[in-house]
Amino acid sequence: MGRQVKRDSLPGYTPGTAQGSGWEVLLSKAPMSPIGDHRIVIVLGKGGVGKSVVAGALGLQAANSGQKTLIAEMNGQETQATLWERPHVGYEGRTLCEGLDAVSITPAAAVEEYLVRALKFRALYDLVFRNRYIEPLMNGILGLSDLCSIGKVMDLEWHRRSGAFGPDSQGPYRHDLIVVDAPATGHGLAMLRSPQAMMEITRVGPLFQNAKLIRDLICDHEKCSVVLVTLPEELPVMETIEAAAVLRDQLQIKVAGVIVNAMPADQPSPDPKRWEELQRVADASGGHAAAAVESVRRAERRRRRAEKLVALLERELNLPLLELPELNHHPLGQTSLGELAGILETWT
Amino acid sequence: MRARPALSDIVDSHQVIVICGTGGVGKTTVSAALALGAALRGKRTLVMTIDPAKRLANALGIEGHLNEVTPINLDGLPEQQGRPRGQLDAVMLDSKRTWDEVVQRFSRDAETRDRILNNPYYQRAAGTLAGSQEYMAMEKLLQLHRSGDYDLIVLDTPPTRNAIDFLEAPSRMIAILQEGILRWLIPGEGRFSSARAGIILFGKGQQALFRLFERFTGAEVLTGIAEFMGAFSNLLDGMRSRASEVLSLLQSEQVAFVLVASPRRLALAEAGHFHERLGQGGVSVRGLVLNRVRPPLDAGAQTRPMDAEAEGLTRRSDDAEWNALVERVWATYQGERRRQLAEAQVADELERQFGRGLAWVELPEKEGAIHDLETLTALLPHLQ
Repeated sequence: MGRQVKRDSLPGYTPGTAQGSGWEVLLSKAPMSPIGDHRIVIVLGKGGVGKSVVAGALGLQAANSGQKTLIAEMNGQETQATLWERPHVGYEGRTLCEGLDAVSITPAAAVEEYLVRALKFRALYDLVFRNRYIEPLMNGILGLSDLCSIGKVMDLEWHRRSGAFGPDSQGPYRHDLIVVDAPATGHGLAMLRSPQAMMEITRVGPLFQNAKLIRDLICDHEKCSVVLVTLPEELPVMETIEAAAVLRDQLQIKVAGVIVNAMPADQPSPDPKRWEELQRVADASGGHAAAAVESVRRAERRRRRAEKLVALLERELNLPLLELPELNHHPLGQTSLGELAGILETWT
Repeated sequence: MRARPALSDIVDSHQVIVICGTGGVGKTTVSAALALGAALRGKRTLVMTIDPAKRLANALGIEGHLNEVTPINLDGLPEQQGRPRGQLDAVMLDSKRTWDEVVQRFSRDAETRDRILNNPYYQRAAGTLAGSQEYMAMEKLLQLHRSGDYDLIVLDTPPTRNAIDFLEAPSRMIAILQEGILRWLIPGEGRFSSARAGIILFGKGQQALFRLFERFTGAEVLTGIAEFMGAFSNLLDGMRSRASEVLSLLQSEQVAFVLVASPRRLALAEAGHFHERLGQGGVSVRGLVLNRVRPPLDAGAQTRPMDAEAEGLTRRSDDAEWNALVERVWATYQGERRRQLAEAQVADELERQFGRGLAWVELPEKEGAIHDLETLTALLPHLQ
């Protein structure tokens, strides 16, 4: 038996959502990443904050630590393929590196797979849904795109190494961890809400049952959590705080932590005397020297603003937080992913 | 640089300004700033956003939500060009409420209206049917434009990846509803006119298809959907003619589109795509706002070679601390310059490809957020 600790002193604890007695937890091994031994990690953030890069790095870090890992990309943009310098990964998936696979879940393919399975015959699907009016109508009225996309993640979670598949199948999992590279926050939250929404409108029947299975999985705090990604800038930070509240209060989905991406480099204050000396030289010289001094001042101000926003996140969210540095590689590729995975390794 | 129309002239000579661009480029802030500028030049102005993140309210420095048309207090702000201040209202599109208004307007009778409004699938479709938000934005725009209450409406568009979606989505949405409902609910050529919708109305073909659907939805779900579709089919003619009215408004001389772009490499392709597609959609792009441009660091130094030694930042053989400081300063500067050069290249390329005849404005990146009327006002000199 390990130590017993008060649960709300643990990083990653989300108030009001604890399962079981909620007061005590076993700490068998120290220290553990905020993701712990979850099966599914959903990477969520505003457009342009670097979700895909973070998802890629999380996947690589998990693979490096011996977990068979899958990145499920949800926005159909094949960003993982670009980052990893691989051909399209597609709906069928592709191996990115040792221990790391990726799949690109497009809504249309997910809806098709679901309906073909539900209708039992592909010919029926083709007859009914291969129609440019019927398919979007059914999709729209029922909100199938989002539901089937997140449902596909559940399917992937069910897969066993033996090839067995389903909620009750046995044996080691095909993937120990699934990292979901989710759509931008607004759409991502709608997707996570879609199972509950489907349950509310149907109330009964096969669609209700399927939605409930998915809802129960993503709300299972032992199995599934969200990692929020943000930049140290005002708007993404505000959106992150709002998203955390929605996840916790409305959706009852666990938020494991926050990653602040592209943190500007620390600007250590130089010795004031030497700095003054440098300024005198720059003032006398003008041109590039003066501009160089100004660029350092600007970088300092940027760093200070970023630090303030990180402090705000810490204060508002009380979640484990990790800063990733601003990288200067262009385009971002495997080198950057390796560097970031190394930093993620230290996240406890 | 070539002579260009001023952005403020373009704003002042149109009744509707549509702000478009991909997500994250700062459309909402630009919308709010352009509307504020027009109001300070004496116009009765409305700015409308579909942004659910309360960003417009933040930018205008007001608390809470903007689901109602909300007057913004302009007291204490400077008049522009010596004209008396006008008026600025702001509103956030409430998609669900606008849907309800559409249902109310186009329903033949109270019974039809209530059947639709109370149907859970109606509420679902209002939220998730592709193109629904775009249709509602246009619907609301037409309503407000027709009200005659405003000289100028600035519309912040939904963050679609594809500009043309905004123009085409409404008619596509209606086509989907109309055709989908026709094919499903109406046997043969007959028009759907019964007051009651339900499975009993279907012909043999439809019954077979419905049994098929039942396999994955269950019978009760299907009855609900059929009920919704039946009642809704009566609204579609009204909605369709309304959508074409909006489209002709957007293609008219009263409306100008302004593209917002970011000076990053990726944004170039996106902005180009937008520009091209908007042209194909028959609307006129009259201005481009390049947002968050890094302000130049080295005015006057551009022509000098990048040589630390020549600039007086000389290494000293006996002073490691000094050398480390000089190195750090120089490295930071070079990083910053690389970023600026990359941005300048994007801006030049953008201008070369799409800049002809457009009002062209570069908004410098602000240190600190735009969170109230004062910080918003600080943008106005750049938006002339």
